Amino acid sequence: MSFETVIGIEIHCELKTKTKMFSSAPVAFGEAANTCVNEVDLGHPGTLPAVNKKAIELAIRAATALHCEIDPVVKFDRKNYYYSDLPKGFQITQQFHPIGSGGFVEIDTDNGPKKIRVNRIHMEEDTAKQFHLSNGTMIDFNRAGTPLVEIVSEADMRSGKEAAAYVEKLRTMLYYLGVSDVRMEEGSMRCDVNISLRPYGYESYGTKTEIKNLNSISNVQKAIEFEMARQSDLLLHGQTITQETRRYDEASRGTISMRKKEGDVDYKYFPEPNIFPIRLDDAWIKSIQENLGELPQQRKVRYIQQYGLMERDADVLVAVKELSDFYDEVCKYCKEYKLIANWTITELNAALNKRNLTIQENPCDPKYLGDMINMIKKQEISGKQAKIVFEEIMNGKDPQKVVEEKGMKQMSDSSALLKIINEVLNNNPQSIEDFKNGKDRAVGFLVGQVMKASKGQANPALTNRLIQEELKKR
Amino acid sequence: MRITDYKKQKPAENAKDALAKAKALQPVLNAVVTFYEDTKQQADAADAKAEGLLRGVPIALKDNVSTKDVRTTASSRILDNYVPVYDAAITEKLRDAGAIFIAKASMDELGMGGTNLNAYTGKVNNPWDVTRISGGSSGGSAALVASGVVPMAIGTDTGDSVRKPAAYCGVIGMKPTYGRISRYGIIPYASSLDHVGFFTRCVEDAAVTLQVLAGRDDRDLTSSFEPVLDYSNHLDDRIEGKRIAILDNVQNAVKDEESLKQFDTLMKSLRAKGAVIEHITLRNDLMQALLPTYSILANAEATANHSNLDGIRFGMREPGASVEEVMINSRTKGFSPAVRKRFVTGSYSLFVENQDRLFRKAQKVRRLIVQELEKALQNYDAVIACAAGSIAPHAEDTSEEKLSQTYLVAENHMLLGNFSGYPSITVPLGFVGGMPIGVSLTAKPFEEQQLLNIAAAIEKETGLADQTAEVKA
Amino acid sequence: METFDRAYFKKLAHQIMFDLSDQEIDELQEEFKVLVSQMELLEKIDTDGVEPMIYPFEAETSYIREDKVTHVLSAEAALRNAADVREGHILVPKVVK
Repeated sequence: MSFETVIGIEIHCELKTKTKMFSSAPVAFGEAANTCVNEVDLGHPGTLPAVNKKAIELAIRAATALHCEIDPVVKFDRKNYYYSDLPKGFQITQQFHPIGSGGFVEIDTDNGPKKIRVNRIHMEEDTAKQFHLSNGTMIDFNRAGTPLVEIVSEADMRSGKEAAAYVEKLRTMLYYLGVSDVRMEEGSMRCDVNISLRPYGYESYGTKTEIKNLNSISNVQKAIEFEMARQSDLLLHGQTITQETRRYDEASRGTISMRKKEGDVDYKYFPEPNIFPIRLDDAWIKSIQENLGELPQQRKVRYIQQYGLMERDADVLVAVKELSDFYDEVCKYCKEYKLIANWTITELNAALNKRNLTIQENPCDPKYLGDMINMIKKQEISGKQAKIVFEEIMNGKDPQKVVEEKGMKQMSDSSALLKIINEVLNNNPQSIEDFKNGKDRAVGFLVGQVMKASKGQANPALTNRLIQEELKKR
Repeated sequence: MRITDYKKQKPAENAKDALAKAKALQPVLNAVVTFYEDTKQQADAADAKAEGLLRGVPIALKDNVSTKDVRTTASSRILDNYVPVYDAAITEKLRDAGAIFIAKASMDELGMGGTNLNAYTGKVNNPWDVTRISGGSSGGSAALVASGVVPMAIGTDTGDSVRKPAAYCGVIGMKPTYGRISRYGIIPYASSLDHVGFFTRCVEDAAVTLQVLAGRDDRDLTSSFEPVLDYSNHLDDRIEGKRIAILDNVQNAVKDEESLKQFDTLMKSLRAKGAVIEHITLRNDLMQALLPTYSILANAEATANHSNLDGIRFGMREPGASVEEVMINSRTKGFSPAVRKRFVTGSYSLFVENQDRLFRKAQKVRRLIVQELEKALQNYDAVIACAAGSIAPHAEDTSEEKLSQTYLVAENHMLLGNFSGYPSITVPLGFVGGMPIGVSLTAKPFEEQQLLNIAAAIEKETGLADQTAEVKA
Repeated sequence: METFDRAYFKKLAHQIMFDLSDQEIDELQEEFKVLVSQMELLEKIDTDGVEPMIYPFEAETSYIREDKVTHVLSAEAALRNAADVREGHILVPKVVK
């Protein structure tokens, strides 16, 4: 007997704002502990929350891209629980009125595209960061109050691969939108997976487990696949699934129980009395929605339809926003879209690797690369020369200058070339004879001689054409 | 002495005299939690100011007003060592206006109480009879104004925590409209009911104080954009043509004949001056529901509001083997039994299975109550009633029959102002057996000027402006 | 309906992180009796079709804070009130998840 896997995913994403969700203290990574806080973030007595406009804007961007309906009246609620990383003893969240609801994300699966429904997206605040030592726990409140969105999917995924595709899709999308840094390893995007099994054909759900804090997309898939096997094994042996929270252990590549759920915890949600409902300006919402920028899917379609790229190349470019942004920049200076794609995907990546640079540190001037590709196309330089020129572009040099300095420029000046060609022809009467006797390879020999005489700068195609014309004259 | 009198004197003299008097009376009144040590420097700073509505005027703050570098305990053990790192919005406003802070005044722990018996530093004594209570929760502030230590003190009002002690201590107690004064930096009780208020000995000083405190603050999202008026210059004590409604539910519930008599005398004289005085009765089932509704809402909000008091980041931390133990020990020892019991009640009404029956039910009843008041005020400039059912009781007499009409209505009707957020004031009415009594007035939202004007007319009739209790040190 | 026995109140108190003494629980049981009678006053009121009132005024606002850093504490100020500090962090007994 085999089972159908039912997967739902909750994703928390830190928003890319300058200040906290409810305070004007800075949001920053890697700063000294407790230097990015004010009394609001510490939950000092008497403090009150003041909602961050940028956080709302980013939440609207995300909600729009997820095809959610936007609630133009923003309301917040309190989620009450006690924990040392939660300064106020409650988290301000949007339990009853999420800013976005009822959306979807389309993912690619082996069986074609599939819609994963998004139940809701809501805003809330992050907790403090704790460091567990052998004899105590140290708390840094810098992260406390950082704006978050939580995106809750419906239980629409059926495999680890689909789940991974969903997370990847969201990750790329949120990054493109400028909503979040989506760095899973650093925790700016965190992923909780709910998973249960049921016999095929059943409508009702089995008992689910929740795997918390998955820190990479590959771990999402691995954890799900492990959990599928574990639950299936239990069920096949007539055992029941315990509703519990588990975590993925990278060392053992398995999931480990963290805590059993004794019924649902009662968070005693109630509306936050310190924030009156905020009516968002319709025109503002509209302007955010109309200026989302290009999403990865739209960009991919453009690459294929307008630029004629292969789907595979379009995927590679789009997967890394900076790479694709760079590609688009180059395309402003050069219309050889496929050639640019080749150079960007293959040569640029290789050159970055060689220099141990990330795409964010890319020193290549897009205009220079565009110029260089134009030279290739005009046959001013050969492909072989281009590789040398590109190396210099990576060092910040203008390709025009490189070509001049290295004396690479191909001779495309017909009169100058003709002079050399006629000299070569005069010195090779036998080849003229051969040509007239129908031996075509004589042309190749002559081209070679011209190249030699021009120190490799003769434009080969032009040379070829001119030689043929001259031969016919003789 | 009024604010204008203080302003004529040297700030340093004012500060010195007020501090000396506060200290002298402390053994008698027990109204102060913390005395300011830098009153001289404050006075110098005030002196250096060209102007300021409270320039050089000594004042007291309730101990739930956040004051940077000055201990702020809210009269709770759990905050006994808490020294704020920031100023409340009103602390800034008062300092900018030139006020000199003399003391942080005692209160019922975290504002939770109406007697000021439940303060970590103990009972506050009524200046008119030190065997009696001051009322609460802003009891320390009321006592300091009534005894003439300062002309003005800040209080906060969640149930009737300014207006009740004002009535018991024979001073003016005002809470303006919800949102009129920023709550940023006020240690809360129940956010949707909390108001900043104040005590003075005359209406004129109340008008000046309101002018200083009122105004929009972006740090408090519930604070109002309504323009602030020049209340003191527009003060007008002509009562002719004013429409005032006597709240009969209260008058019928008050059992003290002497109080009722003095109230009627006042009504007659106002009528004689041309006021239109009529009677109204609100739905009595709603009036009886005031206190239960309040208990549920206030305790529920309070239990969440005070979840930050855990001994981790500030406040008194008790040892424990785990974080959970630290929190439990700190909170058990840090809160009085009364406060913990209120938290239990509040938490109970927030349970998911109880919310419909309790918390949301109370929120719905709140709406009905507010609608009832709104309707009543449509035809009137203000609603008036006896502020309390009796004079300030003795400590041992504070527990009453909790389900009696007298208790539910006469002692709790001022909750109307907190549910609705409407501006409300108590004004001294007279004395019963040597103890002060007061009347309560409530007006439409943001009609503070109207409220002050009517209060001024009453003050003129009673002749009780500027009265001070003579307390023997 | 709950029985409001000692164990019930103890558990309830623990959820909100404090203890109650037996005497306090006895008092609470008495107070809950009053509370229950007071609740009956509430229950008698017909609230069908009435929306809960969360705020005193229900005028929606449109103000939202601009995303600008305007106020940050020094680490010293942030930690000043903490009972135990180590290496710029607030220290608590080991948190067991």
